[in-house]
Amino acid sequence: MKILGYFIWAAVACAAGIGLGGIALIRGEHINSLWLVVAAACSYATAFRFYGKFISARVMALNDKRATPAERLRNGHDFEPTNKWIVFGHHFAAIAGPGPLVGPVLAAQFGYLPGTLWIIIGACLGGAVQDFVILFASMRRDGKSLGQMAREEIGRVGGFVALVTVLLIMVILLAVVGLVVVNALKGSPWGTFTIAATMPIAIFMGLYLRYWRPGKVLECSALGFVLVMGSIFAGQWVGESATLAPVFTLTAMTLAISIILYGFLASALPVWLLLAPRDYLSTFVKLGVVMMLAVGILFVRPELQLPAFTRFTDGTGPIFAGKVFPFCFITIACGAISGFHSLISSGTTPKMIAKEWHAWPVGYGSMLLESFVAIMAMIAACVLQPGVYFAVNSPAGVVGITPAAAVATISAWGFPVTVADMSALAKDVGEQTLFSRTGGAPSLALGMAHIFASSGGGRAVIGFWYHFAIMFEALFILTIIDAGTRVGRFMLQDLLGHIVPPLGRTSWMPGVIASSAAVVGAWGYFLVQGVRDPLGGINSLWPLFGISNQLLASIALCVATTILLKMHGAKYMWITCVPMVWLVSATFTAAWQKIFSPIPAIGFLAQADKLEAAVRAGAAANTAATQTLIFNARLDAAICGLFMVLVAVILADSVRVWAGILVGSGDRQVHEAPFVTSRLQAEEL
Amino acid sequence: MRQFFRIVMGLLRELADENAYARHLAVHGRVHSGEEWRRFSEERLRAKYARAKCC
Repeated sequence: MKILGYFIWAAVACAAGIGLGGIALIRGEHINSLWLVVAAACSYATAFRFYGKFISARVMALNDKRATPAERLRNGHDFEPTNKWIVFGHHFAAIAGPGPLVGPVLAAQFGYLPGTLWIIIGACLGGAVQDFVILFASMRRDGKSLGQMAREEIGRVGGFVALVTVLLIMVILLAVVGLVVVNALKGSPWGTFTIAATMPIAIFMGLYLRYWRPGKVLECSALGFVLVMGSIFAGQWVGESATLAPVFTLTAMTLAISIILYGFLASALPVWLLLAPRDYLSTFVKLGVVMMLAVGILFVRPELQLPAFTRFTDGTGPIFAGKVFPFCFITIACGAISGFHSLISSGTTPKMIAKEWHAWPVGYGSMLLESFVAIMAMIAACVLQPGVYFAVNSPAGVVGITPAAAVATISAWGFPVTVADMSALAKDVGEQTLFSRTGGAPSLALGMAHIFASSGGGRAVIGFWYHFAIMFEALFILTIIDAGTRVGRFMLQDLLGHIVPPLGRTSWMPGVIASSAAVVGAWGYFLVQGVRDPLGGINSLWPLFGISNQLLASIALCVATTILLKMHGAKYMWITCVPMVWLVSATFTAAWQKIFSPIPAIGFLAQADKLEAAVRAGAAANTAATQTLIFNARLDAAICGLFMVLVAVILADSVRVWAGILVGSGDRQVHEAPFVTSRLQAEEL
Repeated sequence: MRQFFRIVMGLLRELADENAYARHLAVHGRVHSGEEWRRFSEERLRAKYARAKCC
């Protein structure tokens, strides 16, 4: 039996090698998406079985006889021993957001290969390790948060810097996901109506759950799902109506202002009325659609139309500027490694783990599944004709304002596309145009619609699936916007409460309104900046988001390295140190280039200087709008610099602690909760 | 198959906070009512949305 096991694992590892070799070496012909699926699935299985188990057994010495906080501190609320597969699903639902869907779609501008390899290798050696080690550390420390662990293991500076970094990341995150929604809905009455309809539906669900059928969340969510599906069909009718279509055909700026107002209201309104019911619904829809996409890809097995590499690895990409290193590694964050996951791994999840060994599938395994979602997004983007992919994702400021100019530019790059092709596609999906629909969401929706429609129904249903995909993306992005604004408000109130005590009270209405307005104003500013940006906004905001998220991962890996160092000395510190060094190198290089590159498409300061020079030479009008663009470019440079400084502070503080431990002068005390024997029986789960 | 269905339903109920509500009733020895659900839900949601949501 044991020999059979060796044989099976050898076969899985060989399949992973052949899959990776295949996608890396096949050139000059279209490859089937199944190559990516096999390479990813077999790599994940091998990494999970061998690397994940090695970390569990040797490094963490997981011990099922040791009672977890869920058992010791069981209170029926947060701390509750739960079946491992339920915790797995719960943790996966919490870490899966729009990041692993949008990032790979944008990074596909380099071709399918760089992003795919980074997603697979980054997740196995970096992202899953980070999530797992932080989950383990939190589980051994009574479910403490990343900030608390940073304060305890590194020092007070680390804890404070982690809090400020998270707040800043939230601001950039909310702006960039807001921009994704704006770009998906602008000029689209069908999509705008569908998303607008989710608000009264959510309020209806909130009232239903609070007053009519209290506690019946699944029933209420099923009802909400039926209504949302109905709104997609109604959206088609609205889009074709001569009277209603103009009402729901909104410009990017109108949509941005609407989202900002919505964010403010959702942050200040009672949470049960709008946010919570939609969050329940979006979680179920998200899990369902991810499963549908997996089944669709396996059923259709589409061929990838994008090449392994495109010419844009040289840094001249239209979607975002910058070479494959470092920009591929910051564009794809959540699918490979994401700092935000460390907040989830040190949040609810460690309080639900019943047995220590469950942390292995939950911490390591969930990230591998998230990475697989990113692979599916990469496939969905790459099944589009390259010309279509670039026509949808390239901003008008790069390819030209008119359709004729855009197709001429894109065809000249070697990716032929015609105005007729784009018009036919737009007509099929019920849109007025698909040119310059930047942000990743529309092209992902097109790819998903292509896969779903190929499973049955063909062109007749592609419009429905396109808008279904847009609804799915917008639904949980808007949930992130309102939940994020609320969390940002709490963080800000927590910080301001030290200066003006009433502002710290989350029930004091003037404080709620002022702090909500401040948080909404902060991300709203960057959202409006993205809408006004002639390069489409994604070029500047997505790298900022990627840099900030990866820097948060660096902080988490610093904490993880410190803990491993205290546990074992230098023996196993490479496990977290190697991904941290890689991440710091890629992220600091990207941040440096975003600030100081002399190429205006990349460097914020060069962008500002170019605009100033144009104004001086009379080539650009010296208007308030131009001055705002100049100011914004310098502001982005300052934010980027601030992120670098904050993380450099934590890095320096960590290196000081590590040096102390290694030379024997530092504190090697591990701050774990004391060992208590577990009395939990298997049948209790 | 039954085990799989049990786990899927368990996951859905956990995500829907229905399991947490059942635990809440059991721990405090209370019975279900609209008022009790509202009390539980407010406390649960307050804690839930004080934490960062993942991207």
